[in-house]
Amino acid sequence: MSNINGKVYALNVITPMKPWKTWILRTAFFVLAHVKPLQSDLINLSFIEFARWVIIPRSAFPCLGHGQQQEELKYDYLLFFSNFNGTWNQYIDAFSAVLSRGLNLIWRWSEKFPGSVPVTLFKEYIARVQFDTDYYYTAYPHATANDLKSAHVVQSSFDSLSAVAAQSTPQQFADAYLRFVLQVQAHLGETGEAPAVG
Amino acid sequence: MPNQNGSVYGLTILSPIIDDANATPSHDLQIRAYLAQLSTREDSPFATAPGTHLARLVVMDDVIYVGMPSCEEHLKSKYLVFESNCDGDLDGYLAGLADSIPSHLDAIWSHCVGYPKRGAADRQAFIAYMKSCQLETTFYFAAVNDKSVPDTLRALQTQTAVADFIAAHQGADPATLQRDFLDFAAKLKSQPAPLPGSMGPHRAIKTGGHNE
Repeated sequence: MSNINGKVYALNVITPMKPWKTWILRTAFFVLAHVKPLQSDLINLSFIEFARWVIIPRSAFPCLGHGQQQEELKYDYLLFFSNFNGTWNQYIDAFSAVLSRGLNLIWRWSEKFPGSVPVTLFKEYIARVQFDTDYYYTAYPHATANDLKSAHVVQSSFDSLSAVAAQSTPQQFADAYLRFVLQVQAHLGETGEAPAVG
Repeated sequence: MPNQNGSVYGLTILSPIIDDANATPSHDLQIRAYLAQLSTREDSPFATAPGTHLARLVVMDDVIYVGMPSCEEHLKSKYLVFESNCDGDLDGYLAGLADSIPSHLDAIWSHCVGYPKRGAADRQAFIAYMKSCQLETTFYFAAVNDKSVPDTLRALQTQTAVADFIAAHQGADPATLQRDFLDFAAKLKSQPAPLPGSMGPHRAIKTGGHNE
């Protein structure tokens, strides 16, 4: 069992919701998906590689026959899966500090959600509704979300310079190279092993 | 389509695990035991099969009771959760899994209700089975949503190499700089991209508690 692989942490959370409330949440997610400026805090936090919320209506748990009993539930459930960089405490702290309004909008429809501020009660709630990961794979364990974004900036600039390098005079190339270095210099942070935690 | 963000697909699958009182150990424990010995590095099945950025497998034993005044309720089945962030269209991704790592898929999902009798060898039945267990994502976020796994591995390789090149060529004269850059770019292009799952830390210990 491991929630961690390299620089990424896998968080799994499940919370119960009264079915009539899930429609409010669906509406909130629809707005969030279609009004991009509302995602700016999530993007600017910049330590989430991938995250998703999945609403499971109480009658929608997969039932495949073969003697499997249909679930009989009173609540719909909200699943949250996040792939983030850093430690659990850093993540929840940052969520609470930066995204408190957004988080409240998402989880206030879940039973017993205490609000994302103050952070102590929020952490207690997340710890209670979290379940652990049995197997966790990432194609790039040494890289964070910022590393990925930076690497693509470097690749793009590098491809542009490569395309003109052979046709330039040495002086033209040196000028283009200088512009290239200025473009990429903030994106050359070294990737490597994550700091030990635990 | 909520499952898709740019060119990245967010696959969420909940497969009910067989509940058989006569199975020893129980099917959920057999899944957990298999997953515990599975590599998470370049020899991971998800590194062998194409198109997985990040993926997790989780045995979900039950829903969680959050306390009074909410109602306490329990699931009748345990579920295997498969959460994958992958390239391309769903059918192509699932077909890639079935073709590349059928024995791993069978070892894991044969403990689940309704898994095809011939397993992943019956590619169409496997794809249909996985889709029958799929849940639609309600909201999906991806920090980088327009790059494939090979694109990203190549970019990370380039980033490291470029940093070294720049450091080694500070103050170089224009002619040397151009000649060395052309050599460097040609060498970098001819190098294979790093293997998925490689370049990670080699640690003997696996940490895993909630609150690291």
